[in-house]
Amino acid sequence: MKLHRLLQSKLDPLLAVMLGVAYVGLLLSTVGDLGYARDEGFYYQAARSYERWFDLLLSQPGAALERSAVDRYWGVNHEHPALMKSLFALSLRYLHDRWQWISEAGTAARFPGMVVSALGVSVLYIWGRQVLSRMGGLVAALLFALMPRVFYHSHLDCFDVPVASLLLVTTYAYWRSLRTASFGWTVLTGVLYGLLLNTKHNAWLLPAALIVHWLVVRGRAVVSELRTGRLSIPSGLLAMLLIGPIVFYATWPWIWYDTGHRLAEYIAFHTGHEYYNMEFLGRTYWKPPMPLAYAWVMTLATVPAITLVLFLVGLLDAARQAFGDRVVALVSRLARRLRRRRSRPQAGREAAEDTATLTPEVSASTPPTREVPGAEPCNPSVEIVETARSEPPPEIEDESLLPSTERSLQDDFPGASGSARASSTEWLWVLCLFISYAPWLSPSTPIFGGTKHWLTAYPFLCLFAAQGFLLVAARLEALLGDRLPTRISRLNAVPVALLVCVLSAPAAITLDSHPWGLTAYTPLVGSAPGAANLGLNRTFWGYTTGAVQDFVNRTAAPNASVYVHDTALQSFNLMRRDGRLRDDLRGTLNIHGSTTALYHHEPHMSRVEYQVWVDYGTTAPVHIAGYQGVPVVWVYQRPQDAKRPARGR
Amino acid sequence: MGWLRYSWLLVPLLGLAELGGHFFFSRRAPRIGDWHQLVQPVGELREPDMPVVVAPYWAEPLARSALGSSLMPMRDVARPDVTGYARALEVSILGEEASELDGWSTAKERDVGDFRLRVRENPAPATIRFDFVAELGPKRASVFDGPGGECSWNAHARAATGGLHGHVAFPRERFSCRGGVQHFVGVTVVDDERYRPRRCIWAHPSDRGALSIVYRAVPLGKVVRGYGALSWFLMRDGVGTPIEMTVEIDGESIGEFVHSDEQGWHAFEFSTGSRAGAAADVTFRVRSESPKDRHFCFYADTR
Repeated sequence: MKLHRLLQSKLDPLLAVMLGVAYVGLLLSTVGDLGYARDEGFYYQAARSYERWFDLLLSQPGAALERSAVDRYWGVNHEHPALMKSLFALSLRYLHDRWQWISEAGTAARFPGMVVSALGVSVLYIWGRQVLSRMGGLVAALLFALMPRVFYHSHLDCFDVPVASLLLVTTYAYWRSLRTASFGWTVLTGVLYGLLLNTKHNAWLLPAALIVHWLVVRGRAVVSELRTGRLSIPSGLLAMLLIGPIVFYATWPWIWYDTGHRLAEYIAFHTGHEYYNMEFLGRTYWKPPMPLAYAWVMTLATVPAITLVLFLVGLLDAARQAFGDRVVALVSRLARRLRRRRSRPQAGREAAEDTATLTPEVSASTPPTREVPGAEPCNPSVEIVETARSEPPPEIEDESLLPSTERSLQDDFPGASGSARASSTEWLWVLCLFISYAPWLSPSTPIFGGTKHWLTAYPFLCLFAAQGFLLVAARLEALLGDRLPTRISRLNAVPVALLVCVLSAPAAITLDSHPWGLTAYTPLVGSAPGAANLGLNRTFWGYTTGAVQDFVNRTAAPNASVYVHDTALQSFNLMRRDGRLRDDLRGTLNIHGSTTALYHHEPHMSRVEYQVWVDYGTTAPVHIAGYQGVPVVWVYQRPQDAKRPARGR
Repeated sequence: MGWLRYSWLLVPLLGLAELGGHFFFSRRAPRIGDWHQLVQPVGELREPDMPVVVAPYWAEPLARSALGSSLMPMRDVARPDVTGYARALEVSILGEEASELDGWSTAKERDVGDFRLRVRENPAPATIRFDFVAELGPKRASVFDGPGGECSWNAHARAATGGLHGHVAFPRERFSCRGGVQHFVGVTVVDDERYRPRRCIWAHPSDRGALSIVYRAVPLGKVVRGYGALSWFLMRDGVGTPIEMTVEIDGESIGEFVHSDEQGWHAFEFSTGSRAGAAADVTFRVRSESPKDRHFCFYADTR
């Protein structure tokens, strides 16, 4: 009994850890044939440099802190902050070099990225569990883990999923600091924000979302507080603004010296980033104006449709809970008036129909509402109708997979009133989601990163999707539950069956996409062949060398020079170091000096392939690898060196 | 309206439909290895001077890999256009058709697995009398980079490639001129405004005067027709000075072509007048006000 209670109380943390560990396990088990992306090579090189500084710090702390040492070791790749690269360095140092737990250096460098990505999965479960239900947490975590692009980027020693994870974790800590007023959560929020700042520049946007959240939820109270000069700013926000920069400064040695100038340089690098090329709907964009539809279309094309539908259902459900009663009431009244005007003689019957049709529809999908005393009915301001959600949040002891019909939320801002307060969490999610996409509302924001630059939105998208899932599950339960045998009903058959239905496509798409993560598209656009027809980007970053490594190893002449094309030489050398490529092969950036040439297809790089044609005297690749019948990477060999290959995949 | 309650069932159904869609679309295109089954039927259907045109275009590398350079030589793969071909062999998957063959009739059709092969016929093919790109060499041409400066033919020049961000390939066989490695006349391939390959004559203007490429005894048709371009990737910002190319027959100008960077693969056509059917010397004179980095390349024929 004691064990049972202990298990019950620890079940959710345990499940969260299990989800994270399982995700790391999945990532590790699939990392072997994933070639190193262009940036991974640069970050690996930087990590090795930082590792040497850590060595110096341990052996001669004084010397390590001198400017010359900081500049020497931390100057490498200083356009990006240091947290993840420092973790890559420590992982290389201990998990690979010293303890040899991970045999490949490249995998050791990738490991911290995997762990931080998995942390995002775990925290999604926890947050979903606390706000929605156990099933909600599970759905949010799995839908996030099973996004093809998230799965791909989670493998890498890069920053894109880590920054999404840490933004989620920081926001979660902030949310906890709002609800518990705990000093620990407040400090943790500040520390986490410092680490987020030191992960990637997406961090700059988070305070804007939190300030807007505060203003929205506090509403008019802020104005009156301003008048009285007693502004009540959330402690978590203050901690982020005070502790965050200190942690950021402390954990990035590069900015210890010449701080102002170096920070300005860092900001300028990202606000004035060079435009790279990106294909979108058959056109290659390389300078502004960029297509405003890019982020939305690419989200539609790469996130499983079922996830997006659930998100939409969840978002509408949240909107309904926040505003829906007033909107529906307003629409109903308008509709009634309109009908009366159109058919005065039938007014009596219309009124009866209004009652018979509109009202049941509303009540079928709307929670019970109560009027706030003294409020004007049908006034669209926030104070009018407040959703009746007075139940406590689901506790650990709750064994039900689904929440009660209407889930409950505590007030995040005591003192504030209205449905904005009650839906504070959803506001937080919406704003974090919005700020992640906001840069792409400007036509001058580069689009070269594909979907990776707004991955920060996806955890919040999945939380709404989980909310949508629960709503659908509740409706289906109501519809089908009575018709099922009690024995089956008790097993939560409806939600479990729904879970299988909504996870099967994301799981199939994601697992099938490996190792072609950036080539993977959803059935909504016809998968990879459909995307190729539409002219959507097929690959970038040169990571698909991993897909032809076996062919190159088998057919390249001894000591051959291999033109690496879009694969960075650092990434190519890492493949050699890890034994993925033969040690005698030499990577080169000179086509004419090579006997084997790789080509990773992007339209604007076609010129490189034509150079190979002229220089090698052939238009025929000896090997092509691709996904779903779409060519992605191909290999040329000088005719005198060519061996007729086995057929491509 | 009670049936609306059942609309919630659409959500799990959508999930299953997406799963089905994934399996359907992911298996729709032929596998890469399947392209090798085309070697024999294409060999049977294809005649000399018949390009293999692949629809959709993204699948073309698969055809090149399977069929090899002999069935898909650079001349055809990097063609200026299809107007000079009487027939083409279209290899189609996924029900696609090549837009550049719009209006061509179908003479033969054969299905091979997931592929459809069609022999397409050009309703109005042009007769190419002389292809200046194919004939570039010391037997038919001489090159001068300004007064008194003859560029020498070198069949073993040092080839060069610019790689990821650099210039297009500089071929081994070329007329080498004064002023640096990019000052030569030779056959290479540039990328057009859709990043597609175009085989052409590299003719970087000289700062010593007009670059003159003289072809001897060229059989003339009604027109001298062609295209000019610079590598789109390298010059698409359109900041370079225009390039002027004059076409002369026996020393008499028949037209001047002015090309700006942003025009892409840009056509020209000049009438040969009463000289059609005769043979004459044809000279292309290329110049630019500011010749630096004017990586001009052109295709021309008489027809």
